[in-house]
Amino acid sequence: MKIKLASLFVKDQDKALAFYTDILGFVKKTEIPMGEHKWLTVVSKEEQDGVELVLEPMAFEPARVFQQALFEAGIPFTAFHVDNVEKEFARLEKLGVIFSMKPTSMGAVKLAVFDDTCGNNIQIVQV
Amino acid sequence: MTYYHQRVLAMTKALYPHRDQAERIALAKQYIDKHYGSILNLDRVAKEACMSKFHFIRLFTRYYGQTPHVYLRDVRMMHARRLLKQGIPIRHVCYAVGFDSVPSFTRLFRQRTGLTPKRAILDKKIPAGTFIFVKSRKP
Repeated sequence: MKIKLASLFVKDQDKALAFYTDILGFVKKTEIPMGEHKWLTVVSKEEQDGVELVLEPMAFEPARVFQQALFEAGIPFTAFHVDNVEKEFARLEKLGVIFSMKPTSMGAVKLAVFDDTCGNNIQIVQV
Repeated sequence: MTYYHQRVLAMTKALYPHRDQAERIALAKQYIDKHYGSILNLDRVAKEACMSKFHFIRLFTRYYGQTPHVYLRDVRMMHARRLLKQGIPIRHVCYAVGFDSVPSFTRLFRQRTGLTPKRAILDKKIPAGTFIFVKSRKP
């Protein structure tokens, strides 16, 4: 058994694809039409054979409630590693990304949290 | 300030009150990241953090959730996989990531990745999604 995928609920798959590729810099890996929605994954540009992030359509009401509660509390749905949180924060902020937590040290790691515009808080981590 | 941000600040205050200690541990980790290809011993790495070896091991494990030894091993494996994917010969990769024995490198690589180093090189030569047609043997 291997971990190959991680899922993230998004309000709008096309908008999410644009954000995750144009703003964050990920690369689209698969897009398979499935009726109203699609199977859509992105990967890190530096690790294109690494774990795929599935941009899942939000089509289940209880999940919407769960997502909303996490968002309002500022809790990240998932986290991505970066080499330098301060640099990434400056780059994303320049692109208009809104941060609910600016770079903050916690022990030996540095964290920041931003709004992915698709219903989620995402944390970037410098280890 | 969000609930999450408040929790992060509260936990930092409770769990990591010594900012200079965290910085010294981070420096030692950066030392491992930079010198993984050398013969590294823990005394040398602990010196980077200005701590005794045993104190360093205890704190590194508390901050990063794994011992420095395990962390170093994982860093070496990550770089080995990257170099093998570039088609660099196994022996060269073995020495480049700080091992001095090809059999022990091969054994550990296989244990950690499920692949032999040779297979890791071959996998790179077969792009993902490529269909391989093998001529069937005649009965």
